[in-house]
Amino acid sequence: MAALFTLTAALYVAAAALYLDFLGRGRERSAGAGAALLGLGAALHFAFLLAEGLRGASPVGADIQQALSVASWLVALGLLATTRGKPRLRVLGAFVTPVTLLLFLGAGFRRGVAVVGEEMRSALLPVHVAANVLGLVAFALAFGVAVAYLVQERQLRRKQLGALFQRLPPLDVLDALSFRLVATGFPMFTLGVVTGTVWAVQRDPSAPAIDATQTVGLLAWATFAMVLLLRVVVGFRGRRAAFGTALGFLGACAVLVGYVVRKDGGS
Amino acid sequence: MPGLFVVGVSHRSSPVALRERLAVPSSELAAHVRGLAGRSGLSEAVLLSTCNRVELYGVAPDDASEQRARTAFGARVEGHELSPHLYERGGPDAVRHVFRVASSLDSMVVGEPQILGQVKEAYAAALEAGTVGGLLERCFGRAFAVAKRVRSETGIAAGNVSVSSVATDLARQIFGDLSGRRVLLIGAGKMGESAARHLRAQGAQLFVLNRSMERAIQLAAACDGEPRGLHELPAELALADIAIASTSSDRFVVTTELMKQVVKQRKYRQLFLIDIAVPRNVDPRVGEMENVFVYDVDDLQKVAQQNLAQRRREAEAAEALVEQEMREFEAWRRSLDLKPLLVGLRKHVHGILAAELERTLPRLGADASRDRAALEKMLEAATSKLLHQPFVELKRAGEQGDEVLPAAVQRLFPLAAPAPAAAPSGAGAPAVEAEHDEEHALPLGKPAG
Repeated sequence: MAALFTLTAALYVAAAALYLDFLGRGRERSAGAGAALLGLGAALHFAFLLAEGLRGASPVGADIQQALSVASWLVALGLLATTRGKPRLRVLGAFVTPVTLLLFLGAGFRRGVAVVGEEMRSALLPVHVAANVLGLVAFALAFGVAVAYLVQERQLRRKQLGALFQRLPPLDVLDALSFRLVATGFPMFTLGVVTGTVWAVQRDPSAPAIDATQTVGLLAWATFAMVLLLRVVVGFRGRRAAFGTALGFLGACAVLVGYVVRKDGGS
Repeated sequence: MPGLFVVGVSHRSSPVALRERLAVPSSELAAHVRGLAGRSGLSEAVLLSTCNRVELYGVAPDDASEQRARTAFGARVEGHELSPHLYERGGPDAVRHVFRVASSLDSMVVGEPQILGQVKEAYAAALEAGTVGGLLERCFGRAFAVAKRVRSETGIAAGNVSVSSVATDLARQIFGDLSGRRVLLIGAGKMGESAARHLRAQGAQLFVLNRSMERAIQLAAACDGEPRGLHELPAELALADIAIASTSSDRFVVTTELMKQVVKQRKYRQLFLIDIAVPRNVDPRVGEMENVFVYDVDDLQKVAQQNLAQRRREAEAAEALVEQEMREFEAWRRSLDLKPLLVGLRKHVHGILAAELERTLPRLGADASRDRAALEKMLEAATSKLLHQPFVELKRAGEQGDEVLPAAVQRLFPLAAPAPAAAPSGAGAPAVEAEHDEEHALPLGKPAG
């Protein structure tokens, strides 16, 4: 199992390095090899997930690391699907693959500590976890796109129009893609927040107000809500929308870090 | 041995006043090249005529034909006027030249894409005229392949090098697909008009704003746009994606105050402002506003210069590629010189074996004549096997320009003096057939059986 994990991580590292090489030096072969290694990594990752499931280490949805692992796998698949047949978007691998890698490594951090206790589990838990995972995947992709937007916009404003500028996709394409991804992830994330709240109340109606981790989660949700609301109502787009998207994803990541380092897995 | 040569004038060697007198309209290329080849006695000929060069590529069976071709090429200009500007190249230098021309390494703007199309057009005209044979067919075929390699394997064509195309390129980097985008042309400057035409060609909608409505209508008609009065600028800016400022005003036409109103109405959509006017028409502080990008003529020229410098750097890699391809072509051409020797050697060996078979067969009785077909097959196989290694070595020697081995073979075997293996004159098809037939007769591959 450890070998599968290490091999998958190594493939993700290699894919990220190749995509970054393509971003920096523009070698087409690096982009192709990066996509191939990412695909191979995702295949091994799937084998790893299957092996974990067969081993029955923890029930579905009860383990934050398992959720992280699934999320990182879906981010890899999401990237491959988004860039398939679109050569101008391949460079996004340089921004998204490192996120995949970090999520996957996070899944291997202090494994088995943060499992939700049996007495805490309910039918809502898998819904809560699945919705949050899907939301996180869309936000991770949106984050990569938003960072690419910020890099491209900075170059255009500073009039640095070198090879890197030529390789990155047009600003409008990045802006529209980021919006679509946030709009896709937000309903999922909202469902995750709502089911999480209901689950917490069901578990202990007399429990005190939300803790620090949950507060950060709500702030991340509010950030994405603002990004979408301002975009639709005021036409808020471009750099500010990209900052908002990046900030919202970092908030969501902070929640994950909180759950991973806590001993109770958020229960 | 027939010689491949090129004779011509280009933007590097001659003024346009001379080139225009030698130029041939594309509709007359086929007739002209047929006449040139006929008068000079060339085996093959291709005539290339563009605004930057007029060149005749030919294959001459002897020096006299080459001399006649040179005279016929410059017939419309006095000799003393032409000779200081005329260049001639032969053999490998001519091959290198056509590869460089097709790859746009010899163009005024290195990496420009039009030249390849023009070379293809010249070749098509020569095909139509029936003046392409084996050598030019192979040479131009390789030139097109080299040009393709140069474009795909080097960055020679990357980045635009004119102000108006750089502006279009930047617009594409901001908006992606430009079809349906609203472009404003403010004023009637020449460079602005050129940039607007580029954007219109990409499918953008064009609106021409001018202080004089009459001028706006004229310009809009010329650029396939819609006219607007200059008083409509705030409303049009609120809707536009790209605006090209090119007025003769000595004050800012697009001010920060105007843009503050416009940005809100635009709901922060991206706006690309191209200020091609001198003095500038757009307040540079506008470029600090959210989602507004301002580029003036200096910015665009800087990008064009950077792209040009980048192309020149890439040209070094392209030259190396051309050199490699030229060597390969020369190796192939030298192998043509050997063909008579190889054919003669095979005939010689096969002849001896066949004669021995004829002498032996009557002594073998009645059964032998039944097996004659099998014995002849065996004879063919024996000839091929026997000559396989010598042919491989001779071919290698030919590619490397080694003349010692072919001379030794000539000395060891009483072969007839080889006839020149010219790429045949006339139309391409018969020439190619003849060449292929010969190749099939030579056991240059693995020996059979």
